[in-house]
Formats: sequence, structure tokens, C-alpha cells
Amino acid sequence: MSNIELALWSFPVLIALVLLRAPIALAMIAVGVGGSYLVTGTPLMVLNQLKTLTFGTFSNYSFSIIPLFLLMGQFATMSGMSASLFRAAASFLGHRRGGVAMSAVAACAGFGAICGSSLATAATMGQVALPELRRYGYPGSLATGALAAGGTLGILIPPSVILVIYAILAEQNIEKLFVAALLPGVLAALGYMLAISIWMRRSQSDATVRDRVGWNQRMADLTKVWPVLAIFALVVGGIYSGLFTPTEAAAVGAAATGIVALVSGQMGWPEFKKAILATASATAMIYMIILGAGMYNNFLALTQLPQLAGVWVGDQGFSPWFVLIVVLAMYLVFGCIMDSLSMVLLTVPIIFPIMLTLDFGMSASDFGLWFGILVLIVVEVGLITPPVGMNLFVINSMAKDIPIGQTYRGALPFVLTDLVRVMLLAAFPPITLALVWLIDSFA
Amino acid sequence: MYRAFERTADALAVTLALLGGVILIGIIVLTCISIVGRAFVPLDIGIGPIRGIYDMSEIGFAVAVFAFLPYSQMQQAHARVDLLKPAFGTLANRSLELVFNLGMLLIAAIGTWRLYLGMVDKMRFGETTLIAQIPVWYGFAACLPGALGFVFVAAFCVSRSTRALTAPREKAHSHVQH
Repeated sequence: MSNIELALWSFPVLIALVLLRAPIALAMIAVGVGGSYLVTGTPLMVLNQLKTLTFGTFSNYSFSIIPLFLLMGQFATMSGMSASLFRAAASFLGHRRGGVAMSAVAACAGFGAICGSSLATAATMGQVALPELRRYGYPGSLATGALAAGGTLGILIPPSVILVIYAILAEQNIEKLFVAALLPGVLAALGYMLAISIWMRRSQSDATVRDRVGWNQRMADLTKVWPVLAIFALVVGGIYSGLFTPTEAAAVGAAATGIVALVSGQMGWPEFKKAILATASATAMIYMIILGAGMYNNFLALTQLPQLAGVWVGDQGFSPWFVLIVVLAMYLVFGCIMDSLSMVLLTVPIIFPIMLTLDFGMSASDFGLWFGILVLIVVEVGLITPPVGMNLFVINSMAKDIPIGQTYRGALPFVLTDLVRVMLLAAFPPITLALVWLIDSFA
Repeated sequence: MYRAFERTADALAVTLALLGGVILIGIIVLTCISIVGRAFVPLDIGIGPIRGIYDMSEIGFAVAVFAFLPYSQMQQAHARVDLLKPAFGTLANRSLELVFNLGMLLIAAIGTWRLYLGMVDKMRFGETTLIAQIPVWYGFAACLPGALGFVFVAAFCVSRSTRALTAPREKAHSHVQH
């Protein structure tokens, strides 16, 4: 078997292992090590690499943003900020039709500004908002669908763990990516609210609205969310102004969020321990996948498949836009079953260099930002599409009486707005890039 | 016997994870102190950033991540795709579980063995970090407890899934609550 055949065969083998429920990291390590052995004919190369590979990967200063943001997100879930965010959003939106659900989405967006993980955002806001949605008589499908979709704002709105990983793999500027994600994130929240509004108008649901709240109360509720704004400004502003490196900013953000959680009185020793343990298991899981994806990509590099694929795509003379559509569609399809992080780690090292050779009429640095945001959105859609959508599972497990089928249906309108947004952002790159250009023009 | 194994593995996993957490918090505190110190540099009063903070952080992060591995393994927290789980039936699922836990044990054991050899290499060459001049093998050595814990817990997980396969009447996963 030639090296290229080996590389091509490795994909179905990897997918088969994953479908057999092998931990994704294990599957990637097994296929990567096995493939390298078949290419080089000796286990020595891999064994030699392993002497320093694990320590080298785990001590990587750029990757270390990940445990820090995860810890920050854990502290955020115990800071009581989810409740104040929801209260503030509800006093502005609650009296509208569908307003309580819109408030949940708005609060998710706010929470996403201090939490870089979708599952944590969905779970935390679910605890606060689900009981309220039921109290006002919202149908279970809409309530769970809106919260699952709202949870995806956790990674869409910076800080975002997936963006950090993309930035490292594609050698992009993390601070610019965070800024580029801002407008698409706000668009996402607005799109979800629009979906709720249309749903409520069409379904004649008997959900009730909250009483209108006066402006004094609104301002009072709004001032209670200042820690969220302060931490967001500190982290993202601190990175962008060059005050901190991204890792330092993540450390400062984790410290600030931890202090807010302590001061709020909601984090005692048991909660602190829980935060550490949750950070531990998520961190270890992500680093194992990083390790596995690295080993698998090393094997592919040995076979020279990535270079040959790049040449092949170039020779076909495809239109760049056609290639972009195929790539995004592939992410959407695999996103239905694969874990978003594994997908980004596996594919970006191969796909990004190929995409970079295509001419979209923009500079390489602009392209890197724009493509990153598009990838972020399409892999995030995978969190709310059946059959495997982690956010759907998280929210559904909190509302045991609502069948998962209803949650699937409830998520559909939100998936539609996601697809519309991807098309919009793909067709009009300035939506993503304008803010970056604006800030750069001052620098 | 099995219960003792389970209790030991669980206690080890939790203790190491919490120690890793303490290291993570330590890095956060040091980083904040260093940033404050850096802000004083323009005043020129002898206060500055912590020398070699990046070197120390990098070693700390590696030690913490290794210390987190056993807990993640104990909790079966690894990302996987459950799409076909219902299609397989209990016997097939539990057999696969055993195979994959054996795979994780193999990875843990080989990884730890190579980490140890890596440490021996670094010791022999006397390599140090760039700024703080910390011998690199210190970092490798500090990672070994986490790595060994990973091997121990992975071995327990093999025994747990063997038990689930051979004694299906018992509860397959009796996670200790924290």
C-alpha cells in the first residue's frame, strides 16, 4: 500500500473507531501511531517523539489559555451572575411577546462574555431560565430549543475556547479573532430573538408576558451586571491594548471571576472543589484530544497527503467559493455526529493551508480571521443539531418531562437562523472584519 | 478487594486533580503579581515582573495537566460519539468499553515510560529553561506523579469494565459521589 493510500484509508478507520464509541483521543492516537509505524516501518520514531511530546504539548504556553478560561467559566457559573444577567434582560424584554425566552437568549450572550464554553453556558442559564420559562407557560420545545441555541453563544462570543485552538493551529492573531467574533456573536443573539418572535406570532401560544418594568428598575437591574462588563473589558480590552498576553489575560479573568464568585457568597469550599474538578476533567479531555490530533496530523504529514491535496485542489481549478461551500457543508454534516473540538483540531491543520492558497480577494490575515469565524459558527451549529447535539442533551436532561424529540424540533428554527447567518457572513466578509479594521485604523 | 481498588483509585484521582488545581491557582496568583510588578517598571523603584514567570508557568501547566489526567479517566470524561450505542446491545458495548479501557491503559503506561526516559535524557544533557535557568528535568519529574496516577486509575478502569462485563447484574458504574 502506498503512503497516500494509507493516509486515505486512515479516515474511514478513524471514523469507524469513533462510531464504535472509542474515546476520540484514543482513536486518533491509535490511528496516528499505527499509520506512522506503517509508513516508517519502525516504532522507534514515535517512541522517541513521545519522550518529549507529552511534556512539550502540556507545557505549551499558548494552549495554557484553555485551562484558565475553563476555570474562569466554572467560577462564572458559581458567581450568581447568570441570575443577575437574566433579571436585567427580563426587565428590558420581559413584557414583549416571547420576551422571557428572548431574555434567556440575551442573558446567554452576556454570560458568553465571561464564559468560553457552550455547555457551561447552556447548563448555567438553563438552571436560571428554565423554571421562569415554564412559569410563564412557554412550550417545552421552544424553552429547551432557545436555551440550547443560546448556549452556543458561549463559544461564539469571546472569550472562546475553540477560537483559541483555531488561532494556534492556523497561526492567527487571537486578539483580532476575539474582536472579529463580536459582531457575528451579536448577530447570532439577534437572530435567535427574531426566531422566537416569529415562532410566538405563528403558534398562538398561550405563554404570558411579564409586567412592564419602569426605567428606574431597569437601570437598577442593569447596574447589577457591572462585574460581567468589567471582566469582559479587562480580558478582551487588556489583550487588545497589549497590556497582557492572552494567557495573562485569561489568568486575570479567572482571578477576577473567582473573586466575584467568592464575594457573592455563592462559592464555598464544596463549590470551589466542584469548579476545580470540572476544570480538571475538561482540561484533561481537551489536552488528550490535542495530543491525539497532533499525532494523527504527524502521520498525515509523513504521507504528504496535505501537500498533495493542496496541489490537487489547485489543479482542479475550482472556484474558491465552491471550495468554501464544500468545506463549510462538510463541517455541518460531520458536526451532527462529531465533537466540535476534535473536528477543529483534526481538520484545520489540513484544510487551512489549502484554503489559504485560494483567492478570495482579501489579504491573508483578513482571510484567516474571516474563515475562522465561519468555521466557529458551523461547528457550533453541531451542538444543536440532532442526533448528537451536546447542548440539546444538556438542556433536555434538566427538563426530564420534555421528550428529546420536542427539543430537537424546538432547536430547528435556531439552526435555520444559524444557516442564514453563515451565508450572510460568507457573502459579506466586512461584517466580520469591519470592527478589526476600525480598531486597527486607530493603532 | 475491588472496593478497596475503587476507593484508592478514586481518592488518588481526586487528590491529584485538586493538587493540579492548586498549581493552576498558584500560576494565576503569580501571574497577577507579575503583571502588577511590571506596571511599576516605569517608576524605576526596583519593583518589576517576576523573573522567569513564563518558564515557571509552563512547567506548572504541564504538571497540572498531568495531575488532571487520572480524574478525567476515572470519570470517563473523554469525548466520544454515542450515536450507535443503542444499536449495539449491552454485551457489545461492555466488550468495546473493556477494549478501549485497555487501550487507554496502554497509552498511559507507554506515555509514562517515555516521560521517564525523557527526564533521564534532560538530566544527562543538563538542559535548563531559557530565563529562570530551571533544570528541565525538574519539570518532567514533577509530572511523573500525575502520569503514574493515570496508569493506576487506567488499570482500575480496566478492572471496572471487566467486572461490568463478567458480572452484569451489578451496577456497571458506581461512581463515587463528590
